[in-house]
Amino acid sequence: MKRKIAVAATLAATLFGAAACGGSDSNEGATSANATVDGKGKTIKVWLMVDAETAWKPVVEDATARFTAATGAQVNVEYQQWANHLTKLDATLAGSDVPDVVELGNTEFSKYVFNGGFAELNKGDFENSDTWLSGLSGACELDGKTYCVPYYAGARVLIYRKDLFEKAGVTEAPKTYADFLSTAEKLQTGNAADKKFSAVYMPGQYWYAAMSWVKSNGGEIAKKDGDKWVGQLSSPESQAGLQKWVDMTKKYSKADVTKNENEQAGIFAQGSGGMFYGNAWEQGVAEEVRKDPNDPNSPLVPTKVKGKLAAAPMPEIPSFLGGSNLGVTQKSANKELSAQWIKYFTDAKSMEGLIKASALPNSTALLDKAATENPKIAPAALSAKQSWFPPNAEKWADVEKGNVLQTMLTDILTGKKSVADGAKWADEQINATLNEA
Amino acid sequence: MARHDEGVVTVGRSRIGTFFANTTGIVFGLLMLFPVYWVLNTAFKPTNEVQSFTPTFLPENPTLDNFKSALGEELFLPAMVNGLIITAMAVAAALVVGFLAALAIARFAFYGRKAIILVVLAVQLVPFLALLIPLFLMMQRAQLTNSLIGVALVYLVLLLPYTVWTLRGFISGIPRELDEAAMIDGCSRPQVFWRIILPLTGPGLVATSIYGFIQAWNEFIIINTLNSPQKQNLMAWLLYNQTERGTAWGPLMAGAIITSIPVVVFFLLIQRNIATGLTAGAVKG
Amino acid sequence: MYAVDSPASPARAQQTPPAPPAHRTRRRRNRSDNRVPWLLTLPTLLILVALLAYPLYRMVVLSFQNMRLRELITGLTPPWVGFDQYTKALGDGVFWGVVARTAAFTVVSVTISVLAGLSIALLMRRVHSKVRIFMMVAMMFVWALPQLVAAQAFRWLTDSDFGVVNYVLTKLGLDYANHSWFVNPWQGWAVITTLVVWAGIPFLAISLSAGLTQVPKELIEAATVDGASSWQALRNITLPILKPLLTIVTTLSVIWNFGLFTQNWALRDGHPEPVYQTLSTFSYTQAFGQSRYSYGSAIAVITVLLMFGVMVFYIRQMFKIGEVD
Repeated sequence: MKRKIAVAATLAATLFGAAACGGSDSNEGATSANATVDGKGKTIKVWLMVDAETAWKPVVEDATARFTAATGAQVNVEYQQWANHLTKLDATLAGSDVPDVVELGNTEFSKYVFNGGFAELNKGDFENSDTWLSGLSGACELDGKTYCVPYYAGARVLIYRKDLFEKAGVTEAPKTYADFLSTAEKLQTGNAADKKFSAVYMPGQYWYAAMSWVKSNGGEIAKKDGDKWVGQLSSPESQAGLQKWVDMTKKYSKADVTKNENEQAGIFAQGSGGMFYGNAWEQGVAEEVRKDPNDPNSPLVPTKVKGKLAAAPMPEIPSFLGGSNLGVTQKSANKELSAQWIKYFTDAKSMEGLIKASALPNSTALLDKAATENPKIAPAALSAKQSWFPPNAEKWADVEKGNVLQTMLTDILTGKKSVADGAKWADEQINATLNEA
Repeated sequence: MARHDEGVVTVGRSRIGTFFANTTGIVFGLLMLFPVYWVLNTAFKPTNEVQSFTPTFLPENPTLDNFKSALGEELFLPAMVNGLIITAMAVAAALVVGFLAALAIARFAFYGRKAIILVVLAVQLVPFLALLIPLFLMMQRAQLTNSLIGVALVYLVLLLPYTVWTLRGFISGIPRELDEAAMIDGCSRPQVFWRIILPLTGPGLVATSIYGFIQAWNEFIIINTLNSPQKQNLMAWLLYNQTERGTAWGPLMAGAIITSIPVVVFFLLIQRNIATGLTAGAVKG
Repeated sequence: MYAVDSPASPARAQQTPPAPPAHRTRRRRNRSDNRVPWLLTLPTLLILVALLAYPLYRMVVLSFQNMRLRELITGLTPPWVGFDQYTKALGDGVFWGVVARTAAFTVVSVTISVLAGLSIALLMRRVHSKVRIFMMVAMMFVWALPQLVAAQAFRWLTDSDFGVVNYVLTKLGLDYANHSWFVNPWQGWAVITTLVVWAGIPFLAISLSAGLTQVPKELIEAATVDGASSWQALRNITLPILKPLLTIVTTLSVIWNFGLFTQNWALRDGHPEPVYQTLSTFSYTQAFGQSRYSYGSAIAVITVLLMFGVMVFYIRQMFKIGEVD
C-alpha cells in the first residue's frame, strides 16, 4: 500500500505534474485554525489521495471524529486516484463548487500556491510547525507566508539480499559508496550464471535515484540566479555525479532502461537481484504480496525473497524526500473549518497513526520517535534527515511532466547521447520550462 | 440475398486452396484471440504466479481471487450500474434523435442538407480532450456535474454524428418504391416513417448501437473529470485501481474481463442482427 | 455507413452504385417542403449546438489567449495574444515532429488495417462456414475488449520482465530476455501499430465482409468463365462495388488513428516519451501537464484544421454519393 507514495511521487512526475513561483493575489490575511467556529449544519469537502483510504483510513476517521466533536461540522472525504487527479483538480478549481481541503504531492504543490489556488494559513496554529520537514514545507512557503501543511513523507534506502551478501562473504550493509560498489562487484561475480541477475536493480528512468547521485557529488538540478533559473546538470559536479550513476547502472543493472521504479519491488521479488534503491516499505512489498492486492486485510503470500531482505541507509547518497501536503483552497467557503480539520489531521495523535501505518511523519522532531516505534521505517527515518528536494520553482512540476530527466537518462543509458550531451539537452529544456513567462 | 456461399466450395476453387484458406482462417482467429487468452490466463492466476519470469500458459493453481478482489471493492457495483445507465441513456437517445436526422438526410432534398451533412461530419473531428475544461465549466453552471444525466448528454454528442451518418446509409438502402407504394395505399408520410422505414431500419439500429455502446462504455476521461468517485463508470473505476495497484496485473486483468462482459453480452444479444444489420440489408432479398 | 444500395433492388445485379432514376423526380417533389426535414434534424442540431457550441467557441478563444494556471483557477481574464500560440506551434520543430509522426503512423496503420481487413473479409468468403463462425467469434471478442484494457494487455504481453512475448522469443533461441520494446522507437511503434491494427481489424473485416455479400456471385462467376483471373475479378468487379464502403471505413479509420491517444498513452504508462507523442497526447500534455491551456487549445485547433484538410477529399466523395442518394 505504501507503493502509493512512490506512485504519488512518480505519477506526480509523470502523469499530471505541477510546481511553484510567483505571488498569490490573496490579501485577506491568514486563515486561523484556532478560531471558534460554529460548524453546525456545515459540511466540508476533503480530497485525499487513495493512500489514506487503503493504508490509514482509521487515522482519517479519528481526526474527523475529533473535528466534528469540536466544531459540529461534518466532513465528506473523497478519495482520488493519482492518475488523473491534477486534470480533475484544474477543471474543478476553475469552477465554483470546489473541495475545501486538497491533498497534493509535495512537488505538485508549489505550482498551485504560486498561482493563488490555496489560502494563506497561520503556520503557528499547527502542531510541530517549527520542525516541519523542509522537503515538504518548502512547497508551502511563499514570500514568508504559509499556504499548506505537510502531511506525510517517504524516503529511500538501500534494500539488499542478506543471503546473497553472506554467500559473497559480505557481513554487513555497505558503509561507504566504495563498499557499495565492491559489494555489487562480488554479487555480480557470484551470480554470473543467472542471465537476469542485477547486482543493483536500477531502472533507467528512475530519476529520483539518478539525481540523488548528482546531489551526492555536489551537483544540482537547477539554481536560481537573480530571477532566472539556470539548469545545472552540465556543471562538472553534476556531470560527474551522473557519470557515477550511469557507470554503476550500466555495470550492475539489467533493468529495463525505459522503465521507472514503480515495479521494482515486484521484479526484485523474482530473486534475480542483489540490491535495489527504494522506499522503506518496498522491502515489505518485495518479500510478501497480499493474496488480494486490494484488501489490506487479506493474508500475505511469501515471495522468493521472503525473510532474505534487509534495509540500510544508502551510503553517501542523500535521499529524495517524497510525500504529500494539505491545503485549504482559496475558493473554499469554509476556510476556518477546513484549517481546523487539517490541524486535527496533522497533529501528534494523527502522526502516531501514520507512523504505525509505516509512513514517515511530517516533522523532524517525530522522526526519531518513528524510528524507535516502528523498526520497519527506521532506516528511512534516518535517510529522511539527509534528504534533498527538487528546485522550488513554480514550474518545476512541468519539468517532471515533460519527462525531461527521464528522457535524458534513457538516452544516456542507451548510448544515444553522451553524459555531456544529455546534460546539455536537459539544461536547455529545464531553462526553457522554468523561465517561461 | 440468399446466402448461397455457406460451406460451399465455389467454382474454380481448388481443394488445396480451400484447405489453405481454412488453415489461414483458423490461424488468424487464434492470433486474434491470443491477447484475449492471455488476459484470461492472467486473471485466473494467483498473485505470485502472475509475476513470474517464466510465465505459464495455464494457471498452475487457478483461482478466482482476482475476480473476488475486483468484485469486493466498494465502488465496483455502483460503477457497473452507472456505466450501464449512462450507456443505455446515451445510446437510446442517440438512436432516437439520430434516426430522425438520418431520415431527413436520406429521404429529403432540402435547402441546407449539405450544410447539415458537413456539420455531422465535422463534429466527428472534434478533439474532446481539448474541450474538457470549457465542457466542465458549462456542465457545472447547468448543475450537471456529478450527475449521470450530464455524462450521458456528453456521450450523446459523442455518438450522435456517427449514428446519424450510419443510419442515413441504412435508410437510403430501403427502396423508395416501398414508401411510394405505401403512400399510394393511403399512408400519410409519418405513417410511412413509422410503419415502413422504422421497422426496416431495425437491424441498422442494432448495428449502429454496437458502436455507440462500445464508445460510451469505454470512455473514462470525461466521466472521471465531471463526476465524483461514487459516480464513475467501470472503465474509470478500472483506471482508479490501475494506478493504485501499480503492478498488480491479476486483479487488473480480472477487472478488465468484468468490464468486457457487458459488451460481450450485448454482442450475444444482438448477435443475429449484427450480420444482417451490417449487411445494410434492411430488406431481405 | 452503407451507402451501397439495398440488395432488394432488382436493378443492382447489373448496376453498380448509381441508384435508380426514381430519385430525381422525388427530389424535386420534396424541394417544396423544407420544413419537415428541418424539423427532423432539429433535435440533432439543438443537441450539438447546446453542448458543443460553447466549449468549441471557448476552445478557439482560448487559443488566442494565454491562459495558465493562475488565470484558470482565479478566474482572471487571460491576456489576449492574437496568433502567438499558433506562431509558437508552427515555428516549433518539436511540434512538426509530432505532426509528421502522427501522419506517418496514420498512413501506415490505416493502410495495414484496411488491407488486412479486406483480406480477412475476402478470406471469410472462401472458408468453411464453421471456420467463418470461429473467425467471427474471435473478432467479436477482440472488439468487445475495451481500448484501455487492450492497451494494458499489450503492455503486459510486451513487458520486458514478465512479458510472454520475450519469453517465447527467448525459448525460440533468440536473445530477448530483458529486451525492452520501447528503447528503439521503430520497435515501440511496431508494438503500438500492432495493437491498433489488431483492435481495428474486427470493425473493418466484419463491415467489409458484410459489404462483400452484396457483390453478386454471378458476376464473379461469369467473369471467371470469361477467363478473368481472380485478381482481375477482384480489381474490376469486387472493388468497384465495395468502393463506397471502403471509402467510409477508411475515412473512419483515418479519423480514429489520427486521434491516437489511449494506446500510446497506456503503453508508455501514462508518460509517453517525446518519440511516442502524437498530436492528441501532445495537446493533452501541453494543456494539463504543462498548464499551457492556450497552447494545448491552439494545437487542438490546428489538429482539427489538418484533419479537415485530409477530409476534404472524403467530404467531396460523400457529397458525390449524396448527390446520388
